[in-house]
Amino acid sequence: MKFITHNLKNTEEIVKKTIEVLKNGGLVVFPSDTVYGLLVDAKNQKAVEKLIKFKNRPPGKPISVFVPNLEMMEKYVSVDNRKKHLLKELIPGPFTVILESKHKVESLLESEKGTLGVRIPDYPLITKLVGVFAAPVTATSANLSGRSPHYSVESLINELGKDKKEFIDLVIDAGKLPRNKPSTIIDLTEPKVRILRKGEIIFDRENTFVSENPQATGKLGEFILAKYHDPKSIRPLAIIIEGDLGAGKTVLVKGMGRKLGIENIVSPTYVIYYEYGSFYHFDLYQIEEVDELRNLGIEKLLKKGNILVFEWGEKVAELYGLLKNKADIVYIKIEYINEKKRKIIVKL
Amino acid sequence: MKILAIETSCDETAVAVVEGRRVLSNVIYSQVLIHKKWGGVVPSLAKRAHEEKIDYVISEATKKFPLEELDAVAVTQGPGLAVALEVGIKRAKELADKYDKKLISINHLEGHLYSPFVQNSRGSPAIEFEFPYLGLVISGGHTEIVRFKNHLDYEVIGSTIDDAAGEAIDKAAKLLGLGYPGGPVMETLAKQGKNKDSFNFPRPMLHSRDLNFSFSGLKTSFYYFLKKNPPKNASEIRQLASSFQEAVFDTIIKKTEKAIIITGINRLIIGGGVSANLYLRKKLRDLVKKHNGKVLFPSFKYLTGDNAAMIGVVASYKANEGIYVEDRQSLDRIPRMSL
Repeated sequence: MKFITHNLKNTEEIVKKTIEVLKNGGLVVFPSDTVYGLLVDAKNQKAVEKLIKFKNRPPGKPISVFVPNLEMMEKYVSVDNRKKHLLKELIPGPFTVILESKHKVESLLESEKGTLGVRIPDYPLITKLVGVFAAPVTATSANLSGRSPHYSVESLINELGKDKKEFIDLVIDAGKLPRNKPSTIIDLTEPKVRILRKGEIIFDRENTFVSENPQATGKLGEFILAKYHDPKSIRPLAIIIEGDLGAGKTVLVKGMGRKLGIENIVSPTYVIYYEYGSFYHFDLYQIEEVDELRNLGIEKLLKKGNILVFEWGEKVAELYGLLKNKADIVYIKIEYINEKKRKIIVKL
Repeated sequence: MKILAIETSCDETAVAVVEGRRVLSNVIYSQVLIHKKWGGVVPSLAKRAHEEKIDYVISEATKKFPLEELDAVAVTQGPGLAVALEVGIKRAKELADKYDKKLISINHLEGHLYSPFVQNSRGSPAIEFEFPYLGLVISGGHTEIVRFKNHLDYEVIGSTIDDAAGEAIDKAAKLLGLGYPGGPVMETLAKQGKNKDSFNFPRPMLHSRDLNFSFSGLKTSFYYFLKKNPPKNASEIRQLASSFQEAVFDTIIKKTEKAIIITGINRLIIGGGVSANLYLRKKLRDLVKKHNGKVLFPSFKYLTGDNAAMIGVVASYKANEGIYVEDRQSLDRIPRMSL
């Protein structure tokens, strides 16, 4: 068992070393956007058997695979236009989608019905690795069947006996991962979308997510920002958030900020907006008239690279007119289901 | 050493001349009437009002103390409203250049922490510093617990993670149809309601191990409570105001007590607009009594709100240490400045 610690500079080396091991049918412990995972070449029967044996996984239980993009996904599972539309909401992100397999990976990974779970993570190290490898790799959590997943290499290794350790060829150590739950598993093979496992972010149906607590709303904020913020876009990003008092708008924005490394976001109601570098957090709760909106000087902020988030943005109809043509707009609506639970709808 | 201090972080255009801790002149142009109809501070209006009034306020404050005879210019750099801070900073730079004075930049929160030590022109009150203190800044825009170790030496040990305490009270007042600013009217109604806690609204994060505050959950639960049970008469409004205020103050008191226990510091300094609330003052006095400590409030009522006198007093201590702005041109406002 070899160890490599991931740092800012050794991405290339990690990709190269991991691919060498995968090509030889080896088993790699690898970090992800959720928990530590176990990677083997999804087309290599011996490697998959080794993985199943390591995990003590009962036969017949399917194992998902990582792919780097939609293009590769379409080679391995059937994606019709309706599903493609849905998938665009979910990738990249902490979701595993189950689709009809095209039977090009090791059959042990598929379910008895011939379906396959695929996942495009929001984790550049994996998408890069799988892209260079040019074939899917397994995406199962690095733990023995029935045990909890691991957020650090140390806790995983401590769980393993000597015989198990011998299975592992390479460990990529990225330190302690944030405590994100394993991915949400969504079955798209039937007419009605079914959630088989709840992760951090729960997908309800097209454009719609369910948050069961403020932490999950924050995670969804991170997810939405990562998904819709394209640093290469020539236009600024404007996010309009509609939701009743106490729906969790600021919690969502705090999540967005966290994704950008901004940790000190608080409610801007008292002063209408706060700026954090190129991230502007508005609260239009107090704004009643169009004149006031004009006086905020929003036009001046509509520059490439800026992100403008508006709580209560729907209150002033003119805001949309102001942003239209000048910004990429994401519209989010938060609905109250009960004390803790919220429905969150994202529209472009 | 005489210092001209300018403060335009939010909705007060304020200028003062101070010498050490003594305030020689102090002028505040309050914009509260401008913002009242909007139910909160509107940045563009604040900016315009600051621009319109700042020269007048400066000239009033310097009537007996001509700028030529002063030693330095101090200005609030943040936190606050970006467009409002800009007005004061721009004018401070211009004056410093024109009269060839040194420039001092001040954190608004430092000002609130020094507000109990601000003296009138005759040097009253004459209290001395007894460091360390636990400082609490409680206002519409801030809720912070600070370990105030020595002059100009602070460590924030707790703050709000969402709404400020004063903001939460303002929002509750708005929901009850009481207008803006909500603090004074909530205090009055709560008092009429005998400060009773009839509804026992939630106190978020009261049991968290840290010293941070959260008032967003309280606001949410208040909002949905009102939706289901709209108040039927004035007496019910009083009970609601009283219960809401109690939930906020109870949280402040319990977290402050936790801070006293953790730090072992039993001398408190209270600043910010919410510290004008007499009922909160009573609660804080009871708290320090229990811990054999002391509590200091802003020495004069005008010092609870935003003002330039407290900015000037901090500037005096900075000047004593020789801390001036080195590169004037690059001095910029920091809207989310922390201590």
